[in-house]
Amino acid sequence: MSKSRSTRRGRRYIIILPVILTALFLFLGDRIVRYTSTNEFCYACHSHPHAEESWRRSYHYDNRSGIYVQCAECHLPPPGNLKYLLAKAKHGANDVYGWLFKDPESINWEAKRTVEKAVRYTYDESCIKCHQNLFPMQLSQDGQQAHLYYSQHEDELSCLNCHLYVGHYSELVQEGIQFGVADEVEREVFTEPAVVADFVNFTEKIPGSSVGFEMVAIPGGTFKMGSPPDESYRRDDEGPVRDVEVSSFFMGRAQVSWDEFLAFYNATAAEGRQDNIYATNLGEVDAISGPTPPWGLPDQGWGMGSRPAITMTWYAAETYCRWLSAVTGRTYRLPTEAEWEYAARGGTEGAYFFEGDPRRFTRESLRNRIFGPDTAVISSYVIYRENSEARTQPPGYVRPNPFGLEHMLGNVFEFTGDWYAPDAYSLYPAGPVVNPVGPESGTERVIRGGSFNSDAVDVRVAARSQTRHAAWQMTDPQIPKSEWWYTDTREVGFRVVMEWEPGDQ
Amino acid sequence: MDQKKSLSRRKFLGDAAAIGAIGALGVGAVVSSCSRRPTYVAPVFPDQAPDGRVLRAGVIGCGGRGTGAAMNFLNSGPNLEIAALGDVFQHRLDRCRNELKEKRSVDVPDDMCFTGFDAYRRVIDTDVDVVLLCEPPNFRPKSFEYAVQNRKHIFAEKPVGVDPVGIRQVMAAGRMAESAGLNVVTGTQRRHQRDYVKTFEMVKNGAIGDLVSANCYWNQSSLWFVRRQEGWTDMEAMLRDWVNWCWLSGDHIVEQHVHNIDVVNWFFEKHPVKGVGFGGRHRRPTGDQYDFFSVDFTFDDNRHMHSMCRQINGCANNVSEIIFGTKGYTNAQNTIWDYDGNVIWGYQYPIGDDGQPTGTVAVSPYDQEIINLVTAIRTGNYINETQNVSEACMTALMGRVSAYTGREVTWEEMMNSSMKLGPESLEMGSVDIPAVPPTPGTAAG
Repeated sequence: MSKSRSTRRGRRYIIILPVILTALFLFLGDRIVRYTSTNEFCYACHSHPHAEESWRRSYHYDNRSGIYVQCAECHLPPPGNLKYLLAKAKHGANDVYGWLFKDPESINWEAKRTVEKAVRYTYDESCIKCHQNLFPMQLSQDGQQAHLYYSQHEDELSCLNCHLYVGHYSELVQEGIQFGVADEVEREVFTEPAVVADFVNFTEKIPGSSVGFEMVAIPGGTFKMGSPPDESYRRDDEGPVRDVEVSSFFMGRAQVSWDEFLAFYNATAAEGRQDNIYATNLGEVDAISGPTPPWGLPDQGWGMGSRPAITMTWYAAETYCRWLSAVTGRTYRLPTEAEWEYAARGGTEGAYFFEGDPRRFTRESLRNRIFGPDTAVISSYVIYRENSEARTQPPGYVRPNPFGLEHMLGNVFEFTGDWYAPDAYSLYPAGPVVNPVGPESGTERVIRGGSFNSDAVDVRVAARSQTRHAAWQMTDPQIPKSEWWYTDTREVGFRVVMEWEPGDQ
Repeated sequence: MDQKKSLSRRKFLGDAAAIGAIGALGVGAVVSSCSRRPTYVAPVFPDQAPDGRVLRAGVIGCGGRGTGAAMNFLNSGPNLEIAALGDVFQHRLDRCRNELKEKRSVDVPDDMCFTGFDAYRRVIDTDVDVVLLCEPPNFRPKSFEYAVQNRKHIFAEKPVGVDPVGIRQVMAAGRMAESAGLNVVTGTQRRHQRDYVKTFEMVKNGAIGDLVSANCYWNQSSLWFVRRQEGWTDMEAMLRDWVNWCWLSGDHIVEQHVHNIDVVNWFFEKHPVKGVGFGGRHRRPTGDQYDFFSVDFTFDDNRHMHSMCRQINGCANNVSEIIFGTKGYTNAQNTIWDYDGNVIWGYQYPIGDDGQPTGTVAVSPYDQEIINLVTAIRTGNYINETQNVSEACMTALMGRVSAYTGREVTWEEMMNSSMKLGPESLEMGSVDIPAVPPTPGTAAG
């Protein structure tokens, strides 16, 4: 009897205990989930400099309505479902790993503030949970059209495409900035272009501006274009290797700077949107219609001056060259892909114009991920992912190549005049090729050289890439989209070449 | 018994959802395994709007349709007033004002009557609650936006614009109206026609299976026109003849045929993504428009809608839609057939005095649309048709631009187009728009 009573009691515990434990688990679980989502808990570990300060300077802290938006309100999805818990677990694990194994000083926090990175830990659902009304009465015309565009492309766009710095203030946001408006300083305004008598380096002067830039004489010659099959990290579109001859030409020592591009912008900028710009600009050179005002900050807030101009379309770069030709009376244009590679190699035949193997430089391999890539040599020649601090750099930071050209690899990709085709090299007739200009037609242009955001394998001298016009236009919220400016395509710029005939004076 | 079971299941699911994580894991699977196609029930339209505080309406555009809409407004329920009138032309305004006086004993005082190109602003600036936008379509986006900004409920005739810029302006203003709680009903009145609405319910519930394709038509005799008279400026001549000028009307594929295109979009529950069309002009005595269009529209899933419209005398006429499904087809208005030609469903029209079905709906759709607007305002059952009508207009625009240019035109292109028709400034003077229809293959749009 007593045995059966104790069994019964035991059975009762078997039933009651799990219920109590479950209740306790749910209660504590809820408390833990709540506690670990408070700002205090975030601050306990998050040692990134200025995260709190920049938040306190942002609209999400310092606003007219006096509302604070807390860390977890943006950096987690709205609470109350599994996605929230999973996101919390993911970020928590990531943070614990970083806290244990990483030195906060060594993390490039600025690089985490790009849209591509920020969308990983900022949730559109959370933006929209508070900002339910995308069409308030006070919304500007531009805002209406941008939100209309967003509402048609919600899957492809993020709130952050336009509202990147609302949660953490950035010095990069300069409101009301007048793009391209010249400063007040008096400088000599050139009336004539430079005199070029011989095939030697010279400094071009842009008439009507106080801007000059250096041009390097590149003597013609032959070279092997493309990469041999045994080059590490070679891609198929880099071959077959062809013997190519190019004639002499001049090439910009540096990538076209903001100073240079703004000289063009200020001389030609169109006030409003125009249809048929392509037709207009194909005609007389003196009728060149320049870029419309950009929607955002084309320099991405990094500053202008001698930094390479970026964010423009291939069409804008090409029109710049035609304008430059018109005002100087010479023939400026984008380099052909062959000219570009000939100039970049400067007589060398390896993966880079300096000594080294991509296998040692890359971060892509398992070995280098663990032990770290070799950055000693490459860092003194190339602005790339490992040394760029996530943005472009002006000339003067790295050494030039054997021709004296700077930033041929890295910093920004450069537009070339050629259409892209993966099999472009095999399309040329057999034997040595003279001054090739690429396929006759295509949909995207070749871009070369890699960028500040590229891994070492993508700044190899033979590495090829291409424009992606439609994808790059995606984040332009304007209707219609600009034919002159992308909004956040920050990795591409260009360099000019000037044609030279032996008899030229 | 069954009901009890399902109730307890629902309660269990509710509890599980409350626990959050467990709910999220379990509910999806349970619900999807038990779910069936939910039955759609069409809204039941009232014969009259309910009583409520006085609603005062302003009419913008006092032509035939504006006067008609004013009458419809007065018909739709108690305590409704026409309080203000606006039109570019004095003679138009006077005619509308007199008609209201003679037929409805409505006296709109002098200080509530406005003429000129800014009449729309002055009507909206008064204390009216509702505006009836019945001006030529080119002017609609501006008055629509201004009405929203000044928090008026809106009845807007179709089309709501003649170019992509204008239609996008209306789309955005429609969203602002929504956020402000302003009701918007538009003149695509088939959506307020009881037989259409019932047929939609049948089709939505699977009466013709999955939809396969559709054709729609607005083929009629020539429309009215007004020849220019001595002493008229270009602007006056165009305004008096507005249905024949693309910048004012959008051409008849947009101005008129948008009704039928809207029906197909409604039944397909989406809009086409591209169109290839052609059209031309042989008979029209005035203006710069085409006489006919024929457009092949394609939806994102590669289904097609064919649309044709014509305004020429002495030709086969047809204003209708036909929608084909996997199991049968329908005229979208009142009848469903199977593919053996048998009528498998017909709308039950009211019985007339002769004991036979009348063949017309109990309440005219022109009254019904205003009844539905007033009902929404007075009951708080919100209604906003801006997006539907904007999408129908944008679809028609794809067709027009394709026919004018000869090119394939995509939805994306229209949503990104900077095309804006009409003179920069509106004044009674010369207008540099020649009476020349576009030539496909060379026209810019």
